[in-house]
Amino acid sequence: MNSPMIHCQQLTHVYSGKVALSNVSFELDAGEPVGLVGPNGAGKTTLLSILSGFLRPTSGTVRLFGQPPGATQLIGKVSALPQVARLDPGFTIIEQLVFYARLQGFTTPQAALEAGRVLEEVSLTEATHEKPPVLSHGMAKRVAIAQALIGKPALILLDEPTAGLDPVNVRTVRAIIAERSPATTFIISSHDLAELDRLCKHILLLENGILQPETIDLNEEKSAIRYMTLQMETCPAREVIAEFQALEGVLQVTNPQKNEFIVAYDPERQPHMDLQLMQCITSQHWQYRQLSHGKTLEEKLFFKD
Amino acid sequence: MHPGFLNHLLLISQFELKRTFATRSGLLSIVTFAVVWGVILLYPLRFSADLLVQEKGLMQGFSFLDVIGFGSIQQWPIPEFGLFWHFALLIFPLLSITLAADQTCSDRERGTLRFIVVRSSRDRVFFGRFAGVMVIQALLISATALSTLALVLYRDAALFSSALPDLLVVTTNLILAVLPFSAMMAALSATVKSARQATVWAILIWTFLAAIIGGFAYYLPTLAFLKLLVPGYQLSALAALSGWQTLQLAYVPLVQSLLLLALGRWIMARQTL
Repeated sequence: MNSPMIHCQQLTHVYSGKVALSNVSFELDAGEPVGLVGPNGAGKTTLLSILSGFLRPTSGTVRLFGQPPGATQLIGKVSALPQVARLDPGFTIIEQLVFYARLQGFTTPQAALEAGRVLEEVSLTEATHEKPPVLSHGMAKRVAIAQALIGKPALILLDEPTAGLDPVNVRTVRAIIAERSPATTFIISSHDLAELDRLCKHILLLENGILQPETIDLNEEKSAIRYMTLQMETCPAREVIAEFQALEGVLQVTNPQKNEFIVAYDPERQPHMDLQLMQCITSQHWQYRQLSHGKTLEEKLFFKD
Repeated sequence: MHPGFLNHLLLISQFELKRTFATRSGLLSIVTFAVVWGVILLYPLRFSADLLVQEKGLMQGFSFLDVIGFGSIQQWPIPEFGLFWHFALLIFPLLSITLAADQTCSDRERGTLRFIVVRSSRDRVFFGRFAGVMVIQALLISATALSTLALVLYRDAALFSSALPDLLVVTTNLILAVLPFSAMMAALSATVKSARQATVWAILIWTFLAAIIGGFAYYLPTLAFLKLLVPGYQLSALAALSGWQTLQLAYVPLVQSLLLLALGRWIMARQTL
């Protein structure tokens, strides 16, 4: 019988009297990226630190591929981008990446090639022979991402991978994750919900150290009610709501933010709601910015019906 | 197939050697050490040795060396090694406290240890760093012993064959002498946040432990065996011995090191990285 990729049972962690994680239990199988979200102090970094073997839980059990975190059987199989970690300032980037690759079992020539490859993947070949103190925050972050990509890990734990990166590099990181999935499973902790919305099929929501009972499935195809999110240019909100409400199959129209509308509809009564909405917008001579299927992750997580 | 324990031990200790001998800060420390040792070798050690050689007859029964605890120097056939032995027993344990202070602490504070542990293990890092520090000290001890041999040969090249056993004796004994100090620093480094803290704690613990156990042993002589817990406990007794006799006390640093390494490993396994 195949054990799940991650198995957490009654995981609790207490930091000097403060409960950071409380009885967290879940199982995850290999596959598409999984998002880990929650407000500041919710326990995301604590959970990822326990999974990475950096922190021992106060109680409960954790298994990755059937092994406890930090087990030598996981070398090369599990990789991590810690939220706060800097490379050794005394050695060049390439020296350290080669050392890490050697620890993963690469020979010296293979390790040099692998270190060069991961640096190229994060567009940092120019920093190969630099020492960490001369790197900007964004560059240091990309080097930290590069070390997580060494070899072919089956599971990569990323804690805030895009925090502090410019848009071009955010796109690079997104492309790396998309390219390596689902051969590599990514667990991504982030506050950038739009980013997670793009990358992840499943979301784990932590609040005050407690894992919310159900993981959020971002796939709405099987649900009886579907949603469309519409971002308009400046428009008369009341009229928009009234016009949309009158359309065939529309169940509810909400206006959570200025110029943003969420249309709930019955797909059986109107399978082509997107076309119907476009026609309505055109006939009213309104301008729109974006029309997308489903609710935004922010709406799903924090503004449930 | 992932690398085994010994492979990682080798890789991690090699990286420590590189830190000492191939980085700017490491080389600066080595050059400083070389200069200080050069001064000790060329002035106090050489002059004292010359004095001992020239005044050998007068020194018979001379009690001043006994008074300062250097009496056994007269028993060493080659006085340079006798003097080196006494100087080194003072210098290397102190050097060990500073040199071995940063085995894991600054890397843990910086988060660098996370990058390493995720592709190794805490045990491998702990013992790999300790092995690295020991190899560095062994190299420094060997270099200083060889420089002393050079001094002996400069005085009288015919002494080579009789100097060689002394060279091996002092080198072996000094490596054994620094072993528990390095193990103590490994355990402290796994606990505290910086090398400076590790050094301060080492001095405090060592002083208080020696004073408290010494006090207990004075009033309750049955507790004198507790002195075995103090790193360097055997050094004063060692200074009174010469030649291969010095290995009689080798069990003391070995037992101390095993206990301290077990304690350090236990701390390292539970430490948040």
